Amino acid sequence: MKSALTILIADDNPSDRLLLGAMLKQFGHHVVVAKDGQEAVDLFDPAVIQLVCLDVRMPHKNGWEAAVEIQNLSLDSFIPIVFLSGVTDPVALSNCLEVGGADFIAKPYNPALVTAKLNAIARLLVMQKTLEDQRDAMAWYNEQLVHEQEMAKEIYENITHSNCLNDPALTTYHHASHTFNGDVILAAYKPNGGMHLLLGDFTGHGLSAAIGALPLADIFFDWTKKGFLMRQIIPEMNARLKSILPANMFCSAAFIDIKANEKNVEVWNGGLPDLLFFSQSKKEPRRLISKNFPLGAVSPTIFECVVEPISYVPGDTLISFSDGVYEAADRNEVMFCESVLKPLYRGDVKPNDSINWLIDRLKAEGVLDNPHDDISCLGISLDTCIGANSLPDQEFAGLVDFPADFSFEYKLGAESLRTTDPLPYVLQIITTVPGLSSYSSQVFMILSELYSNALEHGVLELDSSKKNTLDGFSVYYKEREQSLASLTNGFVKISAKVVSDKQLGQLILEVEDSGRGFDYESLDFTLGSTEVPYNRGLALLHQICQEIGFSNGGRTVTAHFHWRPEKNK
Amino acid sequence: MVENVFDANVEHLVIRVNGRFDYSCHKVFRDAFVLAPRAKSYQVDLSHVEYLDSSALGMLLLLRDYAGGEEAHVALTNSSKAVNDLLKMANFNRLFDMSE
Repeated sequence: MKSALTILIADDNPSDRLLLGAMLKQFGHHVVVAKDGQEAVDLFDPAVIQLVCLDVRMPHKNGWEAAVEIQNLSLDSFIPIVFLSGVTDPVALSNCLEVGGADFIAKPYNPALVTAKLNAIARLLVMQKTLEDQRDAMAWYNEQLVHEQEMAKEIYENITHSNCLNDPALTTYHHASHTFNGDVILAAYKPNGGMHLLLGDFTGHGLSAAIGALPLADIFFDWTKKGFLMRQIIPEMNARLKSILPANMFCSAAFIDIKANEKNVEVWNGGLPDLLFFSQSKKEPRRLISKNFPLGAVSPTIFECVVEPISYVPGDTLISFSDGVYEAADRNEVMFCESVLKPLYRGDVKPNDSINWLIDRLKAEGVLDNPHDDISCLGISLDTCIGANSLPDQEFAGLVDFPADFSFEYKLGAESLRTTDPLPYVLQIITTVPGLSSYSSQVFMILSELYSNALEHGVLELDSSKKNTLDGFSVYYKEREQSLASLTNGFVKISAKVVSDKQLGQLILEVEDSGRGFDYESLDFTLGSTEVPYNRGLALLHQICQEIGFSNGGRTVTAHFHWRPEKNK
Repeated sequence: MVENVFDANVEHLVIRVNGRFDYSCHKVFRDAFVLAPRAKSYQVDLSHVEYLDSSALGMLLLLRDYAGGEEAHVALTNSSKAVNDLLKMANFNRLFDMSE
């Protein structure tokens, strides 16, 4: 750019034209010449010409008129125009600048002055070119970035969203302050019915906040599907996030485990604003405060998992929201928790409409137009049918069944009963049979029912009639916790046998415990006839299984589960 | 705005944050302890903090890490009720000395 320019010269005076042309050629520039303003416009090609020199007074079209047309032809590119003039009238000269001229060169030409001015213009062109290149690079980069973000967003949403979020029991609301949302709401049906839910809020906003959600979602969905319990999933999430997130990043979260069969929910709150449980029998909601560290903030050695159990009746409501709601400023710059949310905390808002009410308040206070943080709300209408009809896993649906014949025995002593949950492992072995894997929810339910009966009533000798009252479950739960922690002897033995051929598959599960046994003769299996909550489990099993048998004085329960292997396709 | 005062006699560093404690303070807050002499104990004076967000909590964790993690002595002092509530929500009262 600094050396040779292509310059268009227009002058009706042949000698001046010749003189300037010769001078410019001598400096190494390429010259295109025109005899008047019209010819200059005709010869002007914005792709070739880099500088235009126009005499002011010319026939057909004067310099000023030509300048205007040439600038129109220049489109986006910057091509400076220099006027050539013998006049020194200030009005005429200022007019040159007004029509867009970059400079003027006075006649008669002085070679030193012409050189100096051309050099100045060349510098201007170089600067202009640099700016244009940078502008184009920025535009390209920005376009690329937006494109990549859109792509990543799609992948992100595919990973963090499940069809479970469409469950009629749930009301969710997401509002992001950036393309990416640093908040997540995860929901997954458990293999034995019920649902796991997680509302998480990562430190910061945008992409850096969202990226932590990927491993979180991965563990959440995978471990829930495999039948792990909330108490096992949460420490795993904490450990994983702690190991991958930078020290100043973590995830405030609430984990909710809905046990629809037992009509209770367990809530873990680590760093989120209070969750609110609205019972139909009380006006004010029960506030579930954060009793835990956020996920990924502290090392597994000091991380704890403090969970609050709540018994519910169908029609009760549980809601949760991120601190984007809690800390939002209303029109008077007062935080929501000190102003707008008060009626909600007092119980003046209809619980089953509370999420819509929250969204209306956020809109009315102008928070959504200019959010400072990501905003998420989650409402759950608690019911007994949540997750009851969850579809079996589609992953194995296409697999052809094959015959199987195996058995194993898994005996847990006191030490293991205290520290491990064997069910996911047992379930995993059993569901290696493709035909059986589509019944994993049923198998899990049988297993967990038999196992918890053996552990709680057999080994720990807990009295399940305590679960009868509304608050009884918490008492029961506490007792279970305490006696399990101090357990020194006893065992539970799980024996599984699978036999299947082309016609019929059979799973025989036998669970034996070291307890005192019980009077099984007087058991009533009919679901409808009993309103006692603690018998519900066995009554359900009775419906799922072909046969339930007791032996060994009530210490051993045997469940027979049959399935029809899928036809070869 | 972040200020710091180092007491060489007892090797104690006080960091005071003024106004909004959020991501915009990230660099100055970090500099306030990284560029200061190594201290045995740290104190973050929150008396002039009007508002704090989750990235501020993150920065406090960063300081705790720097000061020795589980063995760190970091006190958070003079916080207003609103700020105190937010710190407690994240259970920071168990990670930092907030007794006063």
